[in-house]
Amino acid sequence: MGDDHNDLLQGTLELLVLKALSLAPMHGWGIAQRIEQLSGAVFRVQQGSLYPALQRMLRRGWIRSEWRTSEHNRRARYYALTPAGRRQLSTERSAWERVSAAINAVLEVRPASEEA
Amino acid sequence: MQMVSELRERLRAIVFRGRMERELEEELRFHLEHETAARRLAGSAEPEREARLALGGVERVKEAVRDARGVRPLETLVADIRFALRSLRRNPGFTVTVVLILGVAVGAATAVALVAHRVLLAPLPYPAPERLVRVDQRYGSGGYGTLSLVEIEAVTAQARSLEAFGAVRYVGMSLSGPAGPERIDAGRATAGYFRALAVRAARGRLIEAGDNAPGAAPVVVLSHAEAERTFGSPERAVGQSVTLDGVSHTVVGVLRPENRGLAGPPTDAWAPLQLEPPTRRGPFGYRGIGRLAPGVSLARAEGELGEISARIFPIWKASYQDSTARLVPVPLRQALFGYARAPIGLFAGAVALVVLAAVANAATLLLVRAAAREHEMAVRAALGAGRGRLARLVATECLVLSGLAALVATAVAAAGVRLAPAVAPNLPRIAQVQMGWEAVALASVGCVIAGLVVALAPLSVIAASGSAAPARLTSAGGARTGAGPRTSTARAVLVVAEFALAFPLLVGAGLLFTSFLRLERRELGFDPSGVYALDISLAGAPNANDTTRIEFWRKLEARAAELPGIPAVGLAGSIPPDNYGDVNNFNLVDRPVPAGTTEPTSPWPAVTSGYFAALGIELLEGRPFAAGDSAGAPPVAIVSRTWAAKYYPRESAVGKQLVSAGCTTCPLMTIIGVVSDVHYRGLAGEADAVYVPLAQDPGSDRYLVARSRLGAAATFRALRSALAAVDPDVAPVGVTLVERVDASLGDPRRWTLVVGAFASVGVLLAAVGTFGLMAYLVRQRQRELGVRLALGASPASLMRLVVRQGMRYAVLGSAIGIALALLQARWLGPLLFGVDAVDPRALGVAALCLLAVAALACAIPGLAATRIRPIEALSTG
Repeated sequence: MGDDHNDLLQGTLELLVLKALSLAPMHGWGIAQRIEQLSGAVFRVQQGSLYPALQRMLRRGWIRSEWRTSEHNRRARYYALTPAGRRQLSTERSAWERVSAAINAVLEVRPASEEA
Repeated sequence: MQMVSELRERLRAIVFRGRMERELEEELRFHLEHETAARRLAGSAEPEREARLALGGVERVKEAVRDARGVRPLETLVADIRFALRSLRRNPGFTVTVVLILGVAVGAATAVALVAHRVLLAPLPYPAPERLVRVDQRYGSGGYGTLSLVEIEAVTAQARSLEAFGAVRYVGMSLSGPAGPERIDAGRATAGYFRALAVRAARGRLIEAGDNAPGAAPVVVLSHAEAERTFGSPERAVGQSVTLDGVSHTVVGVLRPENRGLAGPPTDAWAPLQLEPPTRRGPFGYRGIGRLAPGVSLARAEGELGEISARIFPIWKASYQDSTARLVPVPLRQALFGYARAPIGLFAGAVALVVLAAVANAATLLLVRAAAREHEMAVRAALGAGRGRLARLVATECLVLSGLAALVATAVAAAGVRLAPAVAPNLPRIAQVQMGWEAVALASVGCVIAGLVVALAPLSVIAASGSAAPARLTSAGGARTGAGPRTSTARAVLVVAEFALAFPLLVGAGLLFTSFLRLERRELGFDPSGVYALDISLAGAPNANDTTRIEFWRKLEARAAELPGIPAVGLAGSIPPDNYGDVNNFNLVDRPVPAGTTEPTSPWPAVTSGYFAALGIELLEGRPFAAGDSAGAPPVAIVSRTWAAKYYPRESAVGKQLVSAGCTTCPLMTIIGVVSDVHYRGLAGEADAVYVPLAQDPGSDRYLVARSRLGAAATFRALRSALAAVDPDVAPVGVTLVERVDASLGDPRRWTLVVGAFASVGVLLAAVGTFGLMAYLVRQRQRELGVRLALGASPASLMRLVVRQGMRYAVLGSAIGIALALLQARWLGPLLFGVDAVDPRALGVAALCLLAVAALACAIPGLAATRIRPIEALSTG
């Protein structure tokens, strides 16, 4: 793994997929590309875990899939957000914000010795 | 919402499995193409390989996606079942054997359970049946007896703990019809009898209190079947009249179809029992049934009935002196069906042993198979199947076997239920046993449980050997990969268990068979062939008294004596071998029982001399009954040889005197003779009897007994014509004594057959188990045995080696079996006649038989051992 790439945090993959799909429906490879691109190439999606994650999200009804013709005139499976997925995105987003705010707050604290 | 989508997706995953697989394939190919193209653009030298690496293996991703579908367990199960069916089909011999063993055993157990439930446990068909009791008289000696008018009146008037109480006496009645009189089963009952059982009339009314008063107008309640038979329909019956025993009775009501019998034998006519003021305790023969008042416990009722007994019995001391006797309430179901517990316990015990033996046997076969498949399992393990997955395969296989066995078990149970009334016709309610869904469920659950228990055996092999599997694989050659010590111990334990379980079955069958033979060869005391009887009842004859009855019987006997082809004819109150007839209590004048204790009883047939002649009962001592032994003359009796030997072992009984029926104010009865034995208490019972002259005890129910040269049909015709000449309104029942003797042997014969069948199955199972195990062991030790042969061992010594090992199991199993056989003696004892339940000969014979079977089962594999060719064994090993 390159140094400039970070593996996705456990559990954040779904949040990023939801976010990516909230912009536009796309196929699996496109989702992976989009996440890398959006994160400024900081995150690299483990392609092997993307498809099982999509399958799980389908099962939970957050996304739906359909076969469409891609830009290169190829049949491809496109995923799109469902209303339930949209709700899930906002839930996960606020959860994430709470967590990251909390982590930031923890990181802001300076040791007493440094202040002295 | 989420649940719905989950369900939908999972359903899609199962139903459209093939399509989803194709789509997944296409999606991943699309992904790889794009990734490859992107990497090629980025200047990669090996874009395809890199793309593949980035994805992390197509097959792995596919597996992960399949897992994410959430239907893996189900898919695996389906695959496992397919696999199990395939592998079972490859071994039809094994599959059929295991399925039959489990199916037949569980099916038989299901049938026995259905019978036990129906006969013993099913509630009585009356409202709140748990509150019903039968009021019996318990003697100081521990026996139970029926009631007389004294007890009926006392309990009816005084028992507060009983909400309702009534009594019945079953009688045969003659129903006059256009085609002559017909004998029907009838009961004389009090109004309380119907109230206690809480039955209602389908039409009209039941017997009411006023009907029981002496002198009330004669009424009758008919069974539904009888009303339909005689009048076409219950509606038409009410208000009509029928002639019973020559008296016109008004039909006041009809019972419902399900009330053909009321806590007793099938009964077609119910007449009121007339409650005359009693003059003494006795005659007995009435059955009392009560309903406990709400909230009253059995113990409280017992207490109250005890108090009533203590108050009433002393008053009637002159006629019945047993001051230890008490009235007791017995729960009705127990009172009616309790006697069925012994035979049902016998069947249940036998079938339980068979089921255990079957499970042990199936487990042995599966263990042998598992050991033989160790190589296959090792290959699977090496190819990546986890130990859990292997265990699941084996467990699934066992469940599939259970499922197939359940089909067999259901069929066997259905056959058993159909056979039950033929196998045990004397059990109550046996005809009501039915196959239902609960029976199918019971058979299936039984098979699944048996299958799971059986599965433990091969699972233990996997647990023991799983970790070492790949290592075993390297040693190659299925024949050489021996079983670990633990699995061979398990197999030995199972085979020992099979012998231990077969042993008590064999002993039980042997004992029952011996007992049956003893009964069959028991001295009957008479030759039943050519002896016929008419069962005649005058119970309901109007204005009958002793004088008219004496006259009736005298005329009848005289008429019958004139019949051609009938050399001997007489009258009797009982007929052998198991017709109780009258039983009476007595007290010897010269050696009475202590005051206040129970007097001895004996069958008490009232007979004419012609009866002795008809049966060929010989006078051994004293004189026969004579014309002078008439109603007014001093009472006399002739006793049987057994009776004489029991009460006067060292002196002659002739001339001794006794007090009859506890009547201290009556004239003493003198013994005038001793005759040869016949049985009245059943072939297994004592042959004691006290005969009294019919003229001194005319009674209303007697048999006209004839020795005839005519054959059954002609004899009955002749006897009936004699009866019709005396009274055309009396309907008799014909009895053939050969059939009576045969019927009295029926239960022991059938029990012997059932237990014998179970025992044969048990022995067969032990033999199959031993044979299977030894044959396997010989195959497995082929190489070793080959080496022994090559080194000069004689074939005979190999045979000895194999047989010795097998016989060790058989001997150990039989030793444990002896302990089980001693345990079962307690249950078996009461069913046996003339043989001890721990008869050492029976144990010895059973042991010899089992060992012989074991030797045979070992000899065949032993023979195979002697035929091993060292060269082949060593090269293939």
